[in-house]
Amino acid sequence: MNARLQSAGLLRHAVLVTFAAIVLFPFLWIVMAAFKTQIDLLMGRVFFQPNLTGFVDVIFDKTSDFGRNFMNSMIVGVGSTVLVLVVATLAAFSLYRLQWPGWVLHSLLGWSVIFHMVPPITLAGAWYTMMRSVGLDNTYTGLILAHATLNLPMALWMMGVFIRDVPKELVEAAQIDGANVPNILWNVVLPIVRPGIAATSILTFVFSWNEFPVALVLTQRQTATVPLGIGKYAQENTIAFTEMAAASTLSIVPALILLVFAQKLIVRGLVSGAVK
Amino acid sequence: MATVSLRGVNKSFGRHKVIKDISLDVEEGEFVVLIGPSGCGKSTLLRMIAGLETITTGELLIDGKRMNDVPPRERGISMVFQSYALYPHMTSEKNMSFSLRIAGVSEKERTQKVQHAADILGLSSYLERLPRQLSGGQRQRVAMGRAIVREPSVFLFDEPLSNLDAKLRVKMRAELKELHQKLKTTTIYVTHDQVEAMTLADRIVVLRDGVIEQMGAPLDLYDAPANAFVGTFLGSPSMNLFDGEIRQGEPDAVYLPDGQHFTLSQRSEHRGQVQVGIRPENLKLVAQPDPNTITAEVVVVEPTGSITEIVLRKGERDFTITSSERLNLRAGETVSLVADANAIKVFKPDDRILLNESA
Ligand SMILES: Nc1ncnc2c1ncn2[C@@H]1O[C@H](COP(=O)(O)OP(=O)(O)O)[C@@H](O)[C@H]1O
Ligand SMILES: [Mg+2]
Repeated sequence: MNARLQSAGLLRHAVLVTFAAIVLFPFLWIVMAAFKTQIDLLMGRVFFQPNLTGFVDVIFDKTSDFGRNFMNSMIVGVGSTVLVLVVATLAAFSLYRLQWPGWVLHSLLGWSVIFHMVPPITLAGAWYTMMRSVGLDNTYTGLILAHATLNLPMALWMMGVFIRDVPKELVEAAQIDGANVPNILWNVVLPIVRPGIAATSILTFVFSWNEFPVALVLTQRQTATVPLGIGKYAQENTIAFTEMAAASTLSIVPALILLVFAQKLIVRGLVSGAVK
Repeated sequence: MATVSLRGVNKSFGRHKVIKDISLDVEEGEFVVLIGPSGCGKSTLLRMIAGLETITTGELLIDGKRMNDVPPRERGISMVFQSYALYPHMTSEKNMSFSLRIAGVSEKERTQKVQHAADILGLSSYLERLPRQLSGGQRQRVAMGRAIVREPSVFLFDEPLSNLDAKLRVKMRAELKELHQKLKTTTIYVTHDQVEAMTLADRIVVLRDGVIEQMGAPLDLYDAPANAFVGTFLGSPSMNLFDGEIRQGEPDAVYLPDGQHFTLSQRSEHRGQVQVGIRPENLKLVAQPDPNTITAEVVVVEPTGSITEIVLRKGERDFTITSSERLNLRAGETVSLVADANAIKVFKPDDRILLNESA
């Protein structure tokens, strides 16, 4: 009995370790590649003398746009995340906690799912034409709007889940206590779903940070984002592998920092003690 | 303090009719308990008074003013939820003062009111704690404190004690009663616990399937139930029911299937099938069988200390009697019983309307 439990535990751990390895391997490979020379990399050497030329080229070379790409991604990422979160939180609160007829809820959510399933690339061309005609191509605003549109369905669903988790009685208690809708949202619902807002923000930011096809169509050199910057190391004749790997490694940093902060914010059990 | 009146109130969820034509007048300072089995519409009715559910048809008046379309915050009510619904991110103090802050009450006055409520409820040393750092009973008190500080004209309670363990429930029940005696605020209290209803209420309203079956003072309902449902719902152990028959020519007896009978204290106009309701304390053991006694077999004897409960079987039917004596009975033994003729209820078997109220 005990032995069987133990071997079940071992098996489970083996599966988890294998899975982690599969997920982490490409990541490790890229980070290692970033510290290799082009020669080491192309020779496929496993043991090598770490070196920083890739990073130096990416960060300090006069011809490198990576610093600007990084800035642009930050602006677009933060801008679109703030926009998405404001809209998604208000919408989710309204849909789930104010009395809408069922068909409003279902048609809006259903439509957002369908929209979410459309590949962004099919929209990119149309968006380019639209943005151009209103003078928003090659601007932060244009890309922020595009990313906000792409990420809104996911954020709406996530915030919907978090807001639905806020017990209805809390909203009702606040109503009886004399709170109006903005009061309820600001003083009762938002403080409780803070961890959810953090989680949704991080995902939204990371999606915007990673997004390639729409950014490719809507931006030019001045507004290009990090994925485009990385892509540019693959030229027609040569591929600058180490620079590409170094840029990729650097691009991971913001996500890592966010996750470290999020650990603190996404504390479970904040709601415990509210009801029951 | 205020009066609350329901005038022909109905509530439907879609096609599902939950509250059916309820009219009720709650007097100033009265403590009214709504009781009924789960799903009978107690919470729905209370939430309609609170303004959390719309009133499909009919009228709600608080202090004579029509409230159907008035938002909850303007009805002058406070509500304590079964789940307490404390704001999890606020301390006890913040939970209690939330309504005052919303209303723009000055900090000085807020502190004073919260302190006053905390004194009444014995919460003074827990004011800085979050709900999750409180025990069930303390949370319950904070929820009551939150209701008190608003100085409402009507208190609404929805099964406020049902999440507490048995001992604490008894204690909080007494505190609630004391609180009402102190504040004298009109109170409407929902429960499915008949002991709570009996002990707390000035008046009990018994609901079944969205209809008022009977209302009145606790002991009046206990002594004179309008039907078998009310009779069996109030009282513990509950009233025993026996199927029987009133025969031609014998209007003052109810015959059981085995030929034994209960003697009534007055004559009945009705003939045919009936149900006899007798409370456990109105059946007494007697040493000698005679024509006016019935016999039954002892199933279990349950001494509780002050009284002894005895479960007996007659034919297919189990019933219970209570005795304040310490009895020496064995399971399987046959005993003779006599019923207090003045306390026998007779109900028509189908529509359950009381036929013969002898009390
Ligand atoms: N929001 C609702 N939508 C549909 N049906 C409801 C709703 N609330 C309550 N009901 C139904 O109304 C009936 C009475 O419910 P409720 O008032 O909660 O009963 P009680 O509090 O007496 O247990 C139940 O059948 C319940 O399923
Ligand atoms: Mg209920």
